[in-house]
Amino acid sequence: MKKVIIGAIIPLAVCVVLLVTSCGGAAPGKVVKIGVVGPMTFIQGEHHWYGAQLAAEEINAAGGVMVGNEAYQIKLVKVDSNEIISVTDAANAIERTITVDKVDFIVGGFRTEAVTPMQEIAMDYGRIFLCCGSSTKELCDKVGDDYDRYKYWFRVTPINSTYLGKVDFMLLGMVAEELKAECGIEVPKVAILAEKLEWAEDIVAAAQVLLPVMYGMEVVGTWRPSDTATEVTAELTAIEAAGAHIIFTTFSGPVGIPYARQWGEMQIPAASVGINVEAQKEGFWDATGGYGEYETTMNTYAPGVKITDQTIDFGERFVEDVGEFPTYCAGTYEALYVLKDAIEAAGTLDSDAVIVELEKTDYTGTAGRIVFDENHDVVWGPGYVTGLGVQWQDGEMECVWPPADGSWEGVVYEGAVTYELPPWVIEAWAP
Amino acid sequence: MISIVNAYIGRVYKEFRDEILVLPSKTIVLLFCLILFLIPLMTSELYILRILILASIFAIFAASWDLLSGFTGQMNFGHALFFGVAGYTSALLNLYVGLPPWLTIPIGAVAAVLAGLVVGVPCLRLRGPYLALATLAFPLILTGIIYIFPDITGGELGVSGIDPLSGSRLIDYYIAISLMIGLGFIMWKITGSKTGIIFHAIREDEVAVRASGINTTKYKLLAFCLSGLFAGIAGGLYVHFMRIAGPTSTLALMVSFQAIIWAIFGGIATIYGPIAGVFILVPVTELLRVMPEIRMLLFAVIVLLVLLFMPEGITTWVRDKIEKECPRCKVRNIATRKICRICSADLD
Repeated sequence: MKKVIIGAIIPLAVCVVLLVTSCGGAAPGKVVKIGVVGPMTFIQGEHHWYGAQLAAEEINAAGGVMVGNEAYQIKLVKVDSNEIISVTDAANAIERTITVDKVDFIVGGFRTEAVTPMQEIAMDYGRIFLCCGSSTKELCDKVGDDYDRYKYWFRVTPINSTYLGKVDFMLLGMVAEELKAECGIEVPKVAILAEKLEWAEDIVAAAQVLLPVMYGMEVVGTWRPSDTATEVTAELTAIEAAGAHIIFTTFSGPVGIPYARQWGEMQIPAASVGINVEAQKEGFWDATGGYGEYETTMNTYAPGVKITDQTIDFGERFVEDVGEFPTYCAGTYEALYVLKDAIEAAGTLDSDAVIVELEKTDYTGTAGRIVFDENHDVVWGPGYVTGLGVQWQDGEMECVWPPADGSWEGVVYEGAVTYELPPWVIEAWAP
Repeated sequence: MISIVNAYIGRVYKEFRDEILVLPSKTIVLLFCLILFLIPLMTSELYILRILILASIFAIFAASWDLLSGFTGQMNFGHALFFGVAGYTSALLNLYVGLPPWLTIPIGAVAAVLAGLVVGVPCLRLRGPYLALATLAFPLILTGIIYIFPDITGGELGVSGIDPLSGSRLIDYYIAISLMIGLGFIMWKITGSKTGIIFHAIREDEVAVRASGINTTKYKLLAFCLSGLFAGIAGGLYVHFMRIAGPTSTLALMVSFQAIIWAIFGGIATIYGPIAGVFILVPVTELLRVMPEIRMLLFAVIVLLVLLFMPEGITTWVRDKIEKECPRCKVRNIATRKICRICSADLD
């Protein structure tokens, strides 16, 4: 009987305690409550949180947010969306933070399948949501399609999937130029290697059509492994047999690690360039056992690269606090500053007034100058946010695009270095 | 005329008193249903209604798993297939054909029935872990198909832009709880019918059932189809409520495993057990949000503790505490009775 009582009482007691603690009172004083939404047990959510926390501490230390003549402190609410595992959890989390935590604004979001219902819920409640994780263009296109409903939605980071594709092709062009200079290859042969996911479809389709027509390259084939594949030697062997000079990658999943390791191990005589999200992370070098050297991918930040006056300082403080270099999800840092400026300009927390000011945003943050287009999407281009091309060189993530010689629209970031072809590629193709 | 009405009311009251009020478990179910209907009068908190709507949808889903696996013993580890097939069918019909939810949900459920046939036929010869592993494969196959046709299915991003269930949280709530109670009752009646007894018998000894001249193949297929029908309704409701149908939200392994956890926690082969399991565990999971770092750990500890002390599930444990079965006529009586209410046999 005693066991039975314990069995029934313990879970009940845990629930009661949780119920009581979850119904905590409102925060004292004048506060702006901001919900930071992300998968908090994953690196993306952690960086959402730390980026926002860093900004909130700075803003609060500097006196807070001036709403009219009153100073408000920022109070962050950590919202674990668990979105990588459960979409239902993510949707529940955002509704809870709006209705129970009563947040005034939301920043974060990462996975499109979960961000979509989260966006709908935030719009239902007319809550401003600054997205800092999902690149899917359609999320912002909704603003243009139905402004009255979706006007509360803005994307701060990353640049959208169309712009990602543009940068991707520019990186490819840079590698092709290098092959021409070093090996005299006039018409490079390109192997398209993209994970079998929907977001990669447009990039693959565009590459198949545009590379021969616009870039004068030859496409030798397209390979589509799973995003969770742990073995890509079959694809790499076929690419080598096809005589490719360049492997144009599109990877967001964990396949990026075994791919880079096997590519380096097998010394496939083709330069690797494109998108490899795993290669954007600090742990990439160790994860590939150093075989990921010369892997080239798009990124938002790179250590020691000064995109704006704020970049280096932000990167150093982030590393000091968190112990690792920020990923693009740490763009919640900028999101908070953008929001602060808009609230101060509006002089109120009223969503409609803040939206008017957000639409006027012209803020130079850590990743570039943030301006929103008519769809509330962050603008990409010279003088705005550009993104970076990074290459792993001798264990370091180095910025190689925009090129250090300023050959792209005169844009040069301090700390950028020259792109290097892998020596085994030069050896294989040099005359 | 008045006397006929009075007689009818009297008969209903007598049935109500003798069949429901006489047993605490049925009274609890009745109270639970009443409270569910009255909750919107007690709170206007939309978040609470949201959790209860999702709990209702998942309760239908978990009970449908119980109908197949709990009663017939056909261990299905890929129950998300029915949920996903119906979800995607509803979403695509709504998005591309423009059908309203009240049409897409039943059509989605029919698609799930067909999926039940597709799974049921090849799996009929399999038993135990072999059947479980075979069923596990089907949602993975469907996920692969979804990735092959991203232009239609949206690939990993899912299908969005779907019409909401009704557009009003309160109406959504009453739709969800009414369907949950109604479909739960139908499933419960099925299990108590002749068909339900055959389902039971198949689980206990299929050879004996066949030896009795019953076509077990037909009944096992029927169980797959019925289970698919109810899970399909849940899937259609889910995508219209969430306004997205994606591979993670409808077809992931976690979706299948959740149904099993809810059913075992509540008590399998009962129908009301999985419903109770969902209505306990879904709110508990939400309450645990106050400790995000150890949320899933605490959830697992609660489930394990309950199953350690209540191995047959929480509803079976509670029922056995408040009621006892007559050793002679097998009718249930309130635990305080000394003699059976039907046959007057000694209950102690």
